[in-house]
Amino acid sequence: MTTIAETAARRRHAGRTRLSAKHREWIAGYLFVLPDALGLLVFLGVPMALSLALSVFEVNGFGGYSFVGAKNYLRMWNDPLFWKGAKVTALYAVMLVPLLYACGLGLALLVQRTDRFNTVMRSMFFAPHMVSLVVVALVWQFMVVDKIGVVSRLTAALGIGGFSFLGDPNFALITIVLVSVWFLMGFYMLIFLGGLQDIPRQYYEAAMIDGAGAIARFWFITLPLLKPTSFFVIMVSMVAAVAGAQAFDIIYVMTKGGPANATAVLIVYIYQQAFGFGAFGYAAAMASILVVALMIVTAVFFALTRGGRFNHEQ
Amino acid sequence: MSDKKKAFPTLTRRGLLKGGAAVAGGIVGLGGFPYINRLAVRAQETPLKFWQFYAPGGPVASQVEWFEKTVADWNDSHPQKIELEFIPNSEYISGPKLATAFASGEGPDIFIISPGDFLRYYNGGVLKDLTPFIDEATRADFPESVIANRMVDGKVFGIPMEVEPMAMYYSVKAFEEAGLNENDVPKTWEELLEVAKKLTTPERFGVMFETQPGYYQNFTWYPFLWQGGGEFQTADGKSSFDSPATVQALKFWQDAINSGVAPRQIMGAGGHDTIANLASGYVAMQNVGIWGISQLQSNAKDFQYGVFRLPTPPNGKYVTVGGGWAFVANAKGRNSDAAGEFCAWALASKEQGSIDRVATWCTKGKSDMPPRNSALKAGGEAFSSGMIGTFAKEIHPGTRAEPRVPPEVYKIISDAIQQTQLGGADPQATATAASQQLDAFLSSYQGAPIL
Repeated sequence: MTTIAETAARRRHAGRTRLSAKHREWIAGYLFVLPDALGLLVFLGVPMALSLALSVFEVNGFGGYSFVGAKNYLRMWNDPLFWKGAKVTALYAVMLVPLLYACGLGLALLVQRTDRFNTVMRSMFFAPHMVSLVVVALVWQFMVVDKIGVVSRLTAALGIGGFSFLGDPNFALITIVLVSVWFLMGFYMLIFLGGLQDIPRQYYEAAMIDGAGAIARFWFITLPLLKPTSFFVIMVSMVAAVAGAQAFDIIYVMTKGGPANATAVLIVYIYQQAFGFGAFGYAAAMASILVVALMIVTAVFFALTRGGRFNHEQ
Repeated sequence: MSDKKKAFPTLTRRGLLKGGAAVAGGIVGLGGFPYINRLAVRAQETPLKFWQFYAPGGPVASQVEWFEKTVADWNDSHPQKIELEFIPNSEYISGPKLATAFASGEGPDIFIISPGDFLRYYNGGVLKDLTPFIDEATRADFPESVIANRMVDGKVFGIPMEVEPMAMYYSVKAFEEAGLNENDVPKTWEELLEVAKKLTTPERFGVMFETQPGYYQNFTWYPFLWQGGGEFQTADGKSSFDSPATVQALKFWQDAINSGVAPRQIMGAGGHDTIANLASGYVAMQNVGIWGISQLQSNAKDFQYGVFRLPTPPNGKYVTVGGGWAFVANAKGRNSDAAGEFCAWALASKEQGSIDRVATWCTKGKSDMPPRNSALKAGGEAFSSGMIGTFAKEIHPGTRAEPRVPPEVYKIISDAIQQTQLGGADPQATATAASQQLDAFLSSYQGAPIL
């Protein structure tokens, strides 16, 4: 004869075992993710939603709000400076991403062997990344100043000088790109080093026995096996370039978007509208479009590269 | 073992709940404690915040000392205390600090603005009417040309602390090296470019105009527009930017760049920085304001320099622009009456202390022309001798106040200057396009008059 207490205990026990191992794992996984998810929601999701809401208001920056519907988006459509900013942003990304990829990978290949010399070189290449972006911008601004900057003197001595790095619309953006690459390449070098270490040495040994040269080994072993790392590097640098993450600080200090808006990437124009002119609603509308553009670029790239995963059928 | 347990009691869920309840109860209970009530009273008496950008350790020590003394003197004699808050220049001028503070309802009680910012804050409804705090005689002490762009409908919304006319500075050493002397000081635009050419070397530019886009660049360009009779709007509020005078002014700055006598990129903090550009030897002549005197006096004592009035175009007349910052009070601040009273007490009171304060700022703090007639008299010898004397006698008489424009107008003019000066665009086509943009904006503008 079983007592009521025994029955209840059995039920509780039965209830506990009803969750399969898969479900328990599922719950545990989400619980681990929960703190970060909450952080993202509060510090990213909510501001993004508020920004989206703000984009349909005209805001004067002093507490005055009036609903204007799609007016800010229409204004954007008709604003040549918005399109100029979009063009400069695209140009910046198109120049930055391949250069950063090539320099990051190149440096990683140069210093991948773990001897003392390479350890020192790795630290040197990574060092710029430790410096404040504002300091980087100020130092480079001084180095490339017309006539007397050390880089200006060097280029003049090589017979390719006589131009203004930051004062000529034809050179200002590429100068900003080169400074950005100089600042960022050490960071991407580290990521590539991690990717290179994941490639089994046996592949190279087998290839060498087969008589493959350095270029063939790089082309047929290194590059294909770096696919996930390459995906990550291109993805992150592209998002950073379009969002203007590092570009903003460098541009704001070095050119303020000039000369003649040649370096006014969208994020600089958005900043100017919001904080310079107090047009928070218009700035929010532009920021919303920038986010959508970023999502589209990310999705397309993800679809084209299958998220950097290896194609095991090949 | 048991001792260790006592020292580090295990945290159980029940214990945590108990503790949480106790803390919550404590917080609720504290509401009735007198200490909390005292905090509320103290909050009402907290000092008013006065934001400006003359930070301790800045380039000219006497400037921050003046601000500190002004606030200390007020605090010694008034119950409502004021506290200085230094905002870095890059955060203050066209930076996010003021914009975000006002957007979040946490704007300063007292702050300083230039004419370029006036309309934005006035149209935003945060500028306190300071007229009730200024008596009629003192109001008349401010020349109309100085106070007009801080007034709307006959009421004063900002009290200027300075007038800063623009001029040309030159390096005596550079002139001597080029075989020139003060008799060669150029009087026309053409002469300026010729002299600049003689002063240009492989390591130095002959003349410098501001190149970075911003309110300051527009400010420095206006005299060249006005000298040929140009304006950006007509008396009835329409664009008059498409004129020969505009084209001529845009072309003059473009010629200076294209001929290679002026740099496309400038050194240091910007075109207003005489130390990094003129005193360093990067340029031989620099278009800069009266504040250059105190900059050079404080940071390049041995540098020999001269000043001359802005050269004029053919058939043009001499005119320069006078900028300057003004004290304003936040109409939505915690004690806007006290804030307004402070602004008037500091700069626009009939008391001799107020007059002397203005004179001291303009002679010892930051070399400037005073915005009050009485302060000009109080400054006495200081305004009639030395380099400031040259400004007072030769340069200041042609001063016209810096225009106050909404951000949209600033941007249209800024883009026109940038496109022609550095972008190589045709001045006539640029002036026409900018004028059409101006007309489109002016036709729908609602706000205080653009001056």
